[in-house]
Amino acid sequence: MNYQMNEFLFAMILTELEDAVGKENCSTRAIDRVTHSVDYYWLSRMWADRGCRMPEADIVVCPENAQEVSKVLKIANYYKIPVTTWGAGGGTQGGAIPVAGGIVLDTKRMNKIYEVNTEGMYIECGTGAIYKHIEWAANEVGKATMHYPSSLTCSTVGGFLAHRGIGVVSTKYGKIDDMVLKMEVVLPNGDIIETCSAPKHAAGPDLNQIFIGSEGTLGVITKAQIRIFDQPEERRFRGFLFQDMHGAFQASRELLQKFKPSVMRLYDEAETASLIKKIVGVERKGAFMNIAYEGVKEMVEVEEKILLETFAKYGAEDLGSEYGEKWWKEKITFFYPGHMMDIPQMFGTMDTIAPYGKIEEIYWAMKEAIETNFPQAKFIAHFSHWYEWGAMIYDRFIVEGKDVPEDPVEALRLHQAIWTCGVRTALAHGAVVNDHHGVGIKLGRLMKEQYGPAMQVFEGLKKTLDPNGIMNPFKLGL
Amino acid sequence: MIMSEKCKQHVDSCRFCWMCHHICPIGNATGQERNTARARALGISLVNREAIDLSEIMDNIFECCTCGACVHDCVTGWDPVMFTKETRLQAALEGKLPEYINTLVANCLETGNAYGKTETCEALTEAIKVHADKKDTLLFLGVDAKFMVCKQALKAIKVLDKAGVDFTVLENEAPSGVQLDFLIGAANETKAQMEACAKALGEFKTVVVYDPNDAKAIKQLYKEYGIEVNADVVTYTSFVAGLLRDGRLEAKNTGKAVVFQDPYQLSRDLEETEEAREIVMSYAVLGEMLLNRAETVWAGNILMAQYMPEIIKKVASRRIFNATSIGADTIVTASVSEYASLKAVAANVEILSIEDLILGE
Repeated sequence: MNYQMNEFLFAMILTELEDAVGKENCSTRAIDRVTHSVDYYWLSRMWADRGCRMPEADIVVCPENAQEVSKVLKIANYYKIPVTTWGAGGGTQGGAIPVAGGIVLDTKRMNKIYEVNTEGMYIECGTGAIYKHIEWAANEVGKATMHYPSSLTCSTVGGFLAHRGIGVVSTKYGKIDDMVLKMEVVLPNGDIIETCSAPKHAAGPDLNQIFIGSEGTLGVITKAQIRIFDQPEERRFRGFLFQDMHGAFQASRELLQKFKPSVMRLYDEAETASLIKKIVGVERKGAFMNIAYEGVKEMVEVEEKILLETFAKYGAEDLGSEYGEKWWKEKITFFYPGHMMDIPQMFGTMDTIAPYGKIEEIYWAMKEAIETNFPQAKFIAHFSHWYEWGAMIYDRFIVEGKDVPEDPVEALRLHQAIWTCGVRTALAHGAVVNDHHGVGIKLGRLMKEQYGPAMQVFEGLKKTLDPNGIMNPFKLGL
Repeated sequence: MIMSEKCKQHVDSCRFCWMCHHICPIGNATGQERNTARARALGISLVNREAIDLSEIMDNIFECCTCGACVHDCVTGWDPVMFTKETRLQAALEGKLPEYINTLVANCLETGNAYGKTETCEALTEAIKVHADKKDTLLFLGVDAKFMVCKQALKAIKVLDKAGVDFTVLENEAPSGVQLDFLIGAANETKAQMEACAKALGEFKTVVVYDPNDAKAIKQLYKEYGIEVNADVVTYTSFVAGLLRDGRLEAKNTGKAVVFQDPYQLSRDLEETEEAREIVMSYAVLGEMLLNRAETVWAGNILMAQYMPEIIKKVASRRIFNATSIGADTIVTASVSEYASLKAVAANVEILSIEDLILGE
């Protein structure tokens, strides 16, 4: 805004927004503003824990469809009011926090399931649908979405798309960007567009992939066709213990040249000794790895044989199916308060990804950088999404409450310093800013460091599509 | 705000946890972020830190139906219902209840029901007179059935008549206290109502509780309040299922395809899921919604419809969508309150009570 907002103008704008989405879907109440000011981002949680109010939107609007989103964006553009899109607030990067005030556009009324298509194998839904709800819709017809992140129950379809999310069976079924056939998007100027009717084509660059991961900075994704799959005839688990992670990497790389398991999860020794011991019950020293393989029964039999032979070559101790099954049952338990890190601890997940030639080096470099520069921080990691060419590190730092400054600004400064150190180290060794949590306000400053002159592609898109810069300001480094 | 340490611990755990975001029937119906356990916890935690005033969150605190879906879903055992009810109590003590809640509370204290009703419909009044004599068995109707859906109360009586049960219905039935418990939690007034009711019930050998909401109160909440009932208290569904098993009611399966809407009070709180199904399967062909038994989704009630009618319509409509999305065109309920909520919005679907099925009406 390049003018001073005043009570009269505010009231005028409010009536226009109420006209666009209905009075009952437009709120200035404290509870709505507060609720949309704290997401899963540690800094917003810490700020609230210290009794401080995070930056709040002035108005929370809840449109029902693309047409209403279009009206809101036209109003926002005219008055040059910031618009921050909110799914369910489960993001860890502060991407949904309305740091510049203005409008929060909550998408959850756009939760309609328009079609469950078992021929084309997709569900068409509003992006405000909680992902678990479309999983239920798939289950009702005997299918599954195969997108099972720990935030399955607390994130919307749009939230996963905006931040390029991923689930635990990604190695076989893919990331959220592999799950989408087609999307409807409202551009910042209010135009409603549709991407191609099929995701694989040669009709120019893939429009889907321009908006997936754009974190609400280039428009609002309002509808999507999400892939569904047949339920596997059989899903089997096998737990292994490696003496060191090097063997696990070698074994996994070879395995992935032969077939794709659904779950591949390797825990470093520190995480095996803490979380895995506590929740899965593995009490042995080493690096625990869980593998799931699924599909047609005959294929699963063959895959099991290949798995056991391959992992035996690299000295993996076969722990049988029990721990793996327990892990599957408890896969979301890890993230409940009481099991997960929580305030007063300070923590963060610096997930990153790289090819096999670099991934081990990155892990050790990040561990050393964090533990050397911040001796109060503990570094734990697992590797949970694997490809034929590389893997991702889900590495976390934890600072115990006694070492976290009580002063919120001092706590913020320490948090920022650890993040900058960790991600810069990752970048210096050939990794990327983030694997699947997104960028948000947390990592925006590091985007230019990663992309260099390539950043101008994003900036050009932003300038063209959102010349007034109203869409989710200060996120994604844009 | 004064709050127990236990509640504060639950509040501070839930305020930054999103895991039950998908499960709230109100949140799913409204799409409002504030209708989640974590939003309520965040609001309360900020009140506890003096960053927001209690009065600014109270509307939201009363948007919770206390169905316990979030509690049931939580693998750690955190209890948003507990801190929601304690916040209501504190607001009552601090004089910060919304005015529309004050009205309902005043009605409860003056008339025994939140609706301020003093008379039942004529047919029910007559039926109650017929069963005025003191017997060993009492049919406890509850205020929702008695004052708001008296046709269903009448049918509940007819079913027992049909089975030849000898029973009493009290003309001046004491309120169970469940409405006050919902509105202001564990206040002295709530306990006083419950104690008076328990005393009245203690005059009978067996008490058959028609409304699952009252059944939850009498069988579960009274224990939490330290109140004993000197009678054998059974739910209406389990009693009727027993009548079928004993051959006192004749099973007559019409082949009609139905789904059953589990009242959460029975399925989650009292862990009773199969008795109603026994009844339904005696008269119809039972299908299941994806979310059934302890996973059930609350479908609205009469009390909350007094102050948020449009939201309750959305809640009921969404549950009807769950049924129709699997091809069902008839929903059977065992809760008089859910029956009323579903009936109010049912367009292309038939809503039946257990009694409707048995009586063939």
